[in-house]
Amino acid sequence: MNLFEKIFNHQIISRLEDSGIFTVTSHERAWLKTMLAHPAAGEAFTPETLEKLRIILEHDQAMDISGHLIEKARSWEKQVYHPLLRPLRRLMMHKSGIRITYSIKSGRVYADQYGLPYRLEYSLVKREWYLLWYHIRHRVFMSTRLANIQSLNPEYVNPAVAERILRKIGATLEARKDEVTLEIVRRYNEELSRILYALSSFEKKVEYDQEQDLYRMKVCLIGDEMEYLLSKIRFLGKRVRVTEGDYLQRRMLEASTKALERYGTSPVDEEMSS
Amino acid sequence: MAKESFDKEIQFLRMLVLTSGAFSRQQFAERLGISVHTFDKTLRRLKEVAGSLHPQEPQEPGKELTDPIRFSYYDSTDPLLLFLFRAKSVKETESQRISLLLGALNGQALTAMELLDLCCAGLPAELALPDEKTIRSDLKYLEEVGVIRREPGPRPYRYRIQDDLVRSLSEEELIDLYDFVDVMANTQVPSVQGYLLRDGLKKQLMRSPEAKYAAEPFLYKYHYHSRILDEAHLFTLLHAIRGRRRVQFQYFSPKSEKSYAAKNTNPLFERSPEGKAERALPLKIVYDHQYGRWYLLAHGREGIRKYRTEGIIQITEEDEAADEQWYRQKLQELDERLRYSWLIDTGKPVTVRARFYNPEGSDFNFVKERVLLQGQWGEIIYEDGHSFIYEIVVNGTTEIKPWLRSFGSSCEVLEPARLRREMIEEWKEIKAYYESV
Repeated sequence: MNLFEKIFNHQIISRLEDSGIFTVTSHERAWLKTMLAHPAAGEAFTPETLEKLRIILEHDQAMDISGHLIEKARSWEKQVYHPLLRPLRRLMMHKSGIRITYSIKSGRVYADQYGLPYRLEYSLVKREWYLLWYHIRHRVFMSTRLANIQSLNPEYVNPAVAERILRKIGATLEARKDEVTLEIVRRYNEELSRILYALSSFEKKVEYDQEQDLYRMKVCLIGDEMEYLLSKIRFLGKRVRVTEGDYLQRRMLEASTKALERYGTSPVDEEMSS
Repeated sequence: MAKESFDKEIQFLRMLVLTSGAFSRQQFAERLGISVHTFDKTLRRLKEVAGSLHPQEPQEPGKELTDPIRFSYYDSTDPLLLFLFRAKSVKETESQRISLLLGALNGQALTAMELLDLCCAGLPAELALPDEKTIRSDLKYLEEVGVIRREPGPRPYRYRIQDDLVRSLSEEELIDLYDFVDVMANTQVPSVQGYLLRDGLKKQLMRSPEAKYAAEPFLYKYHYHSRILDEAHLFTLLHAIRGRRRVQFQYFSPKSEKSYAAKNTNPLFERSPEGKAERALPLKIVYDHQYGRWYLLAHGREGIRKYRTEGIIQITEEDEAADEQWYRQKLQELDERLRYSWLIDTGKPVTVRARFYNPEGSDFNFVKERVLLQGQWGEIIYEDGHSFIYEIVVNGTTEIKPWLRSFGSSCEVLEPARLRREMIEEWKEIKAYYESV
């Protein structure tokens, strides 16, 4: 199997697109056949569609990878599909509103809240689905775990209002963005590749100061992603330092001070100053 | 004709994505071990591919390097680097001919001769007309990649597009299929074929008027964007594994400054290749979720060898296959050694024990949740009101250490004593970074 096939060539693809032709290679079908063996397939389709797909792919080979490819440090795959994905994606397609009853982490339940769904978001770290939605009465942008949704029903929203809300969400997300600067501690420059890989899931800009042989990374993120960035900074340990971003700096000082307390190595006066 | 290699493009894109804008052209070229001229040529080529696939984004000349691959999280979940796999070069005449053939076969079955006639009538006059042999070889290729199939029946054979996947599904079913492909490509490995399929299905969906808004309901947080670049090597290596054949390649250790050296055809630009020539028998491929990286584990002269696939270029497969029984034994040995690898460490197993503290002032124990989610085969062996003890047997402590440290003050390493001391030293250093701020 070669991933660089002529048939995938960009010129051919755009020509076919213009004439409305759908092509699919045996590679893609083999991939699909392999994925249909995953338990998630049962939740993604009606039994009839699933049967139809199995018949269509009957003569295709599945990918032969299982014995040769292993995955390490993978989170436990709690959830790939969720039963609410199918109905919710259709509500979004029709820009319908929702009545939603959900609980929060503490267990408290909010019943029959009126909102507009925006997107379904999967966290590859938590291996779980979230509904991003707009709470119409409170005028706030919400993120709710699908697992915490107790009931959900369609509810009319005036299309003009829906449009306005969706535009507003875009602006809100943009405004929420924050920037912090990290620096690679120079004696770890050799580990540049590893450090950049670890941070590659963030939107960022890297600067290289040739005179000082120093790498700086400006990471752009929204507030609730700070916790994840913090865990990555602690993950990298001595290799990176936060040089701009009061909140992160304070949290790193707090974490190191408290960690040393746990280990029983911190003198009393240091404890007081934290 | 020599097989077209994408080594340079892959290294190029990886560096572009990882270092997003850090280097000038000169620095960038230097680090890739190529001339500035080659750098410009490669960039131009990639921009051309990216540009033809996303024509709505205007390409202003002189803009930053990273522009063609910049993305906005909430706007689109199209994978950033997929266009690499659209870069296989095809002659203009061939691309016209193939599209014409597929266009003719859309919705009807035709013979090679009928297609030849249609092709001759359909191609612009200034292009050389194809002969029967060319058409037959095109059909053979398209049949091989599974895009068309030969209908049963006597000669002359008739060919048809193999598009049952969309033809026999209703619009509702097509939406379900698109969603499934989108979710699986984004959450499972390997994913490139899934992304290519997703692309095709998305275009198909967009053709229906009501589905305008249908294609992007899902977002995926914290992807490693460059991971799909390494899938380019994956199938070459899997092929060698299936055939039990050795591979030869140039290897650039990720710690070296340079990550690619041009294979020179022009002696004026001669550079000494700084990669190391390697020869090994592939046994397993490992995908590491902690960094989004791929590894090749192989058998070499010194026993188990480990390579990061991003450092591998110019792979060639040897002809001779290893003895099956011997190969199986090597595989078994490797499996045994990997049993306790957090990632790929095959060193001596040690028992690591750590106390995790439940969060204060929160009803929800997110510390425990994360330990259960990411702690692999480790177990919670003790629990009280405010903490719990996690224990795991793991090969060496190097690979698990960053994970334990990522919990900050919520984790206290108890054993082994050496790891505990190392953690204390590291926290002291980290604290010193921030005390003066």
